[in-house]
Amino acid sequence: MITHVYALKEMRRRKYRTATNIAGFVIVVATLVALVTTARGWEAVTAAPLKEIGTDLIMIYSAPVVPSGYGCYIANHLFSYPFNQNNLVEMANVAGVDRAVPVLMHRMGAIVFTGIDPCETETNAVLPKNVVEGRYLAPDDGAVALVDREYARLNNLTVGSNVVYMEVEYEVVGLVNVDAANILESHIYVTLPVCQKALPEDSTGLANIALISVSDPRKVDEVSEELVSRWPRATPITASDLAATTSGVLTIGEETAWNISIALAVVAVLFTIRSQLAAVSERTREIGILKAIGWSRSDVVSQIFIESTLQGAIGGILGGAVGYGFAWYFLSTMGGFLAVDPVVLAAGFGIALISGVAAGIYPSWRAARLTPAEALRAV
Amino acid sequence: MNVIEAQNLSRIYRLKNGGEVKAVDNVNLLVPEGQFLTIIGASGSGKTTLLNLLGGLDKPTAGRIVVEGVDLSDLGEEALVRFRRKKVGFVFQAFNLIPTLTAVENVEAALAPTGMPKAERFERSMSLLELVGLKGQVDRLPVALSAGEQQRVAIARAFANEPQVLLLDEPTGNLDTVTGKEIMRLCHKASKERGQTVVAVTHAGYVKEYTDRLLYMKDGKFSNTVPEGELEEPVS
Repeated sequence: MITHVYALKEMRRRKYRTATNIAGFVIVVATLVALVTTARGWEAVTAAPLKEIGTDLIMIYSAPVVPSGYGCYIANHLFSYPFNQNNLVEMANVAGVDRAVPVLMHRMGAIVFTGIDPCETETNAVLPKNVVEGRYLAPDDGAVALVDREYARLNNLTVGSNVVYMEVEYEVVGLVNVDAANILESHIYVTLPVCQKALPEDSTGLANIALISVSDPRKVDEVSEELVSRWPRATPITASDLAATTSGVLTIGEETAWNISIALAVVAVLFTIRSQLAAVSERTREIGILKAIGWSRSDVVSQIFIESTLQGAIGGILGGAVGYGFAWYFLSTMGGFLAVDPVVLAAGFGIALISGVAAGIYPSWRAARLTPAEALRAV
Repeated sequence: MNVIEAQNLSRIYRLKNGGEVKAVDNVNLLVPEGQFLTIIGASGSGKTTLLNLLGGLDKPTAGRIVVEGVDLSDLGEEALVRFRRKKVGFVFQAFNLIPTLTAVENVEAALAPTGMPKAERFERSMSLLELVGLKGQVDRLPVALSAGEQQRVAIARAFANEPQVLLLDEPTGNLDTVTGKEIMRLCHKASKERGQTVVAVTHAGYVKEYTDRLLYMKDGKFSNTVPEGELEEPVS
């Protein structure tokens, strides 16, 4: 169709205007893609310590905790034993909570001693996948333990040998490799009842940590608020808490990223409308010629539409590429990983396209209502 | 048979200060099929306004226009578009080509709204450009063509939809005498071959050679007598 040829040639003829219009759409889409992708990538990085143990939220009952560093830092801020196991059952019944797993951590000198429920194999301080030698704990285990591989190496411990904690001997049944990112990293793991019995205080039926797994990861904050409202002395730790404390980087939520992008899209539409109106004004005489030779209003409208929509589409494609470029740069400096999400790309492209169409409505209406005689009189 | 009939035709422009200008004032005009009519007159005499009314580019304040049996007074916007597309061809003084389109694309632009297939559209545009002597310059932009060549493209465009009526608004106004005569000869020959009715508005004295009928316009009205010295040869 000649209208497409004409639209492309008009865009080339007005290079500066076309470039600035496209730049507006590029900024919108690049902002969206960069912010959303960076937010997601950063969230994935900060959530890693929690994901490592299959949880979304940790509730600890202690003085307010300021997490810092890696490894067993939680243990550095404990210990009272306020959760009895009935509390865990109540937590599991809170709306949005999938699972509430009890953990009891204790520290003596430099050694962290942790009791776990071996039945919980998806969310726990140590999981079967961490076992590198020997076996995982069983519910009816007595004085047996899993030992951190590095701790075992430093203390010449092997499967079958004994490890001592608070003057009690435990047979090592397995060595585990716990990622440093695991914020519950400990040296010795035993079953929860064995741990409760081993501690000097009367710890029977108590735990000091609840690992909460939620049914919808987007509702972690809601669940956290609900749990704190019911156990006001407990302190929640979520991925965003870790993000805020483990880095000085200001992180923004995905919702904020969308809002910023939509606000920018509105600005880009207004800018493009102004620019297209100027183009229509410059081309008044041409519009008159086209009408004189038989172009209808809809032909003229589609001409202006094609131009602004093309600009939106080009801006959408370029903006996606630029946005991913920025996201890659931000995430690489933060140690995160870039994940290309076709939905974000499609949404960015869609916003640019819709903005392009929206920007064409008023100018094309103005062009269409010109009478041919009026338009031809224009200088 | 009259191809153009105008009865009591007026076009009055209202001014912002409350005044009015009668560009066309109660004009009656009959143009038979195949006639080459030339209208002359000073600037501001209403010639172009009359041409715009006959071509459906403007609407009369009063009166009636029938072109090719179509009463323009009753037509809505879309019907007027179809009328302009099918029934009339325009050639303007300033050529009025689309500057970003090549010669052949400018001619095609007149055929595009008809829904004609691309190949057929291109073929017809090429043959029209050949007719006006621009076979070798079809891919040139208007800026790369001389004034005479640009007007030839405009003529080819006016012929594109094979209209029954050709309206020429100062077609030689921007051309030297030699080129102007060539353009008039071309319009005359092509329109006679096709049996088209032509209404031309011009100042050029040599139009007498090509005109079947000459009308003089002053203050929006016709006179059958052309004042002495009104038809002047343009400066070569």
